[in-house]
Amino acid sequence: MSEAGQKRDRRTARQRLFEAPSIDRMAPVSGFLVYAALVLWTLVVLFPIYWILITSFKTAIDVNRGPVYLPWIDFTPSLNAWNDLLIIDFGDTVKAYTNSLIISTTSTLLCITIGTMAAYALARFNYRPKFGNIFAFAIILIAAVATIALFKVDWRVTSATAAGLFFLFIRAAGRRMKGTVGNGDILFWMISQRILPPVVVVVPIYLMFQSVSLLDTQLALTLTYCVANLPIVVWLMHDFFATIPLDMEESAQIDGATRFAIFWDIVLPLTKNGLVATALLILIFSWNEYLLALFLSTSKAQTMPILVAAMNAGDRGILWWTMCVVIIVMIVPVVLLTLFLQRFIAKGLLLGAVKG
Amino acid sequence: MTVELERVAKSFGPVKVLHELDLAARNGEFLVLLGASGSGKTTALRMIAGLESVSSGRILIAGRDVTNVLPKNRDVAMVFQSYALYPHKTVFENIGYPLKVRGLRNNELTARVKEVADQVQLGSFLERYPRQLSGGQRQRVALARAMVRRPVAFLMDEPLSNLDAKLRGHMRAELKHMQHRLGTTTIYVTHDQIEAMTLAHRIALLEEGKLQQLDTPAQIYNDPANLFVAQFIGSPPMNMVRGELMEGIFKTRGKDIETAIKQSRKKAVLGVRPEDCSISGTENGRFRASIYATELIGDHVLVTVKAGEDMLTIKASKNFNAATEAVIGVDFPQDRLFLFDEETGVRLK
Repeated sequence: MSEAGQKRDRRTARQRLFEAPSIDRMAPVSGFLVYAALVLWTLVVLFPIYWILITSFKTAIDVNRGPVYLPWIDFTPSLNAWNDLLIIDFGDTVKAYTNSLIISTTSTLLCITIGTMAAYALARFNYRPKFGNIFAFAIILIAAVATIALFKVDWRVTSATAAGLFFLFIRAAGRRMKGTVGNGDILFWMISQRILPPVVVVVPIYLMFQSVSLLDTQLALTLTYCVANLPIVVWLMHDFFATIPLDMEESAQIDGATRFAIFWDIVLPLTKNGLVATALLILIFSWNEYLLALFLSTSKAQTMPILVAAMNAGDRGILWWTMCVVIIVMIVPVVLLTLFLQRFIAKGLLLGAVKG
Repeated sequence: MTVELERVAKSFGPVKVLHELDLAARNGEFLVLLGASGSGKTTALRMIAGLESVSSGRILIAGRDVTNVLPKNRDVAMVFQSYALYPHKTVFENIGYPLKVRGLRNNELTARVKEVADQVQLGSFLERYPRQLSGGQRQRVALARAMVRRPVAFLMDEPLSNLDAKLRGHMRAELKHMQHRLGTTTIYVTHDQIEAMTLAHRIALLEEGKLQQLDTPAQIYNDPANLFVAQFIGSPPMNMVRGELMEGIFKTRGKDIETAIKQSRKKAVLGVRPEDCSISGTENGRFRASIYATELIGDHVLVTVKAGEDMLTIKASKNFNAATEAVIGVDFPQDRLFLFDEETGVRLK
């Protein structure tokens, strides 16, 4: 036996129970309490998923018999619901599934592309647009739209005049104005787009897509999701970009790289983890989005959440069993993706970049 | 190739960090910009690199006006204090990056990278990542990345200050050798006077955005232009005694010291380097002083003495031995004295 092992523990029983044996471990009693609480909470979180899983293997009769939870004991599992969905309603499910896949991946890609570039620009360039110019732009824009709408003036003439007026204004008054907007204000303006609850803007969005006849198309949902998620991408990626040491980018700049090359070769690989995490978040948001999809899609562009919701409003009553099958099919890809991408989400990649 | 700054100034808003700096590095010269933090030396270097805009004046590299040219089109290479290596790229990719972005073809790129990697003894580390290298090796990767492009000038911003003392001494010698062999004009920024003295062909000493002196290390040491230069260069620093200069006689605390400078100043400063001072008997020294502390450095002993309110440091032989508070005399030859005007700092000659 080693010398340390021979040393007797001289603490009292009370100390052994309530005091931590070393700085990186918990005392037995508090450890037990913490783990008990965690296990309890895990059960609370996992129970709905378990319920969905077993319900998907129940028949209509078993579901209506009331709450029973143990397969082979309380009820006999059957593939009835899976059969219903995958064979009878197969067309609808596949359509919603492909819609969801296409809409969420394209909107995520688009959103990440635009958002990271915007975030990088905000992290590295100084923008100081003048208050007066922004104000003038807004006024001239409103005036131009009003002129076109109310007085039926040709839109080409109006926009040319408005542009001319705006540039004249900048030249004449721009130099005298002092108040400017900084990058922080622009960032805040972007995130403030998420302050409004989506339900507030859903009707105007509906009308907009109606007027360009894009209702119930994949494009409408893709664009809307992209715009709705842009602030999150910009906000998150801005923070990741801001942590990259400037030296590295300056070095690349001197070595001859263009801004885009720096962004592509240096900045993006270094923020890979943040990028993956952000993309995953956006993808899940788009995948699960319900409210906008409810308004903007009716049949052709229907997504999975709508399909699930439709299950509880059919003329055959609430089809819990089929609904559960659809839910499982819907959450599987997200769970798999998260497991697969997990390794990207925690890693000290910047280690060794700077300092000896 | 030459690098010239013509009346280059820089202000950040109302703060003037560089006052109309005139500076020219000759072809193949190792020019060191030396100064304390906030002296504007790094700003000057970043302006040469193009990372900082110029408020007024012109910058010429190899005779071409590059004041408003993008960094990538100036054909200079820079080594950063932090090395600024790309952590997600291997040593090979790091060194090859400047060539890659310039569209060099693969086999030529490989050949060039291997060549410089061998020059800095990194030939066997090409597949490693920066995090797998020691501080000195990372430093050499940064150097190789600067060398691989064969730029007209190297710009170095305190490249050795992240290394430990022993390695720093070693890398200093390597840098000097490398610069000599390549013959590339180098502008090197440091706050470390030893680095400046050992590496430079010429030193430009900056303080508060103004050039104090531009000269060879020996000239800067032996013939400082003003009080600031005299105090900044030399370790331990030059001893300074305040007093009055009257027709060549320096008067301080009732002592008269005869000097060769036949001028008068109400407020003057007399300077003498520690190694020019010697300890003598109390009767024939120019100052009487009591020993404050003695420090054995190895090959010599630093003796700090107190003469009235002034503290003086004397470099004595390594065998020097005396009790603290013992009274001694301090002597120095007349031709090793420096005199300065206290108000303007100007050297009196």
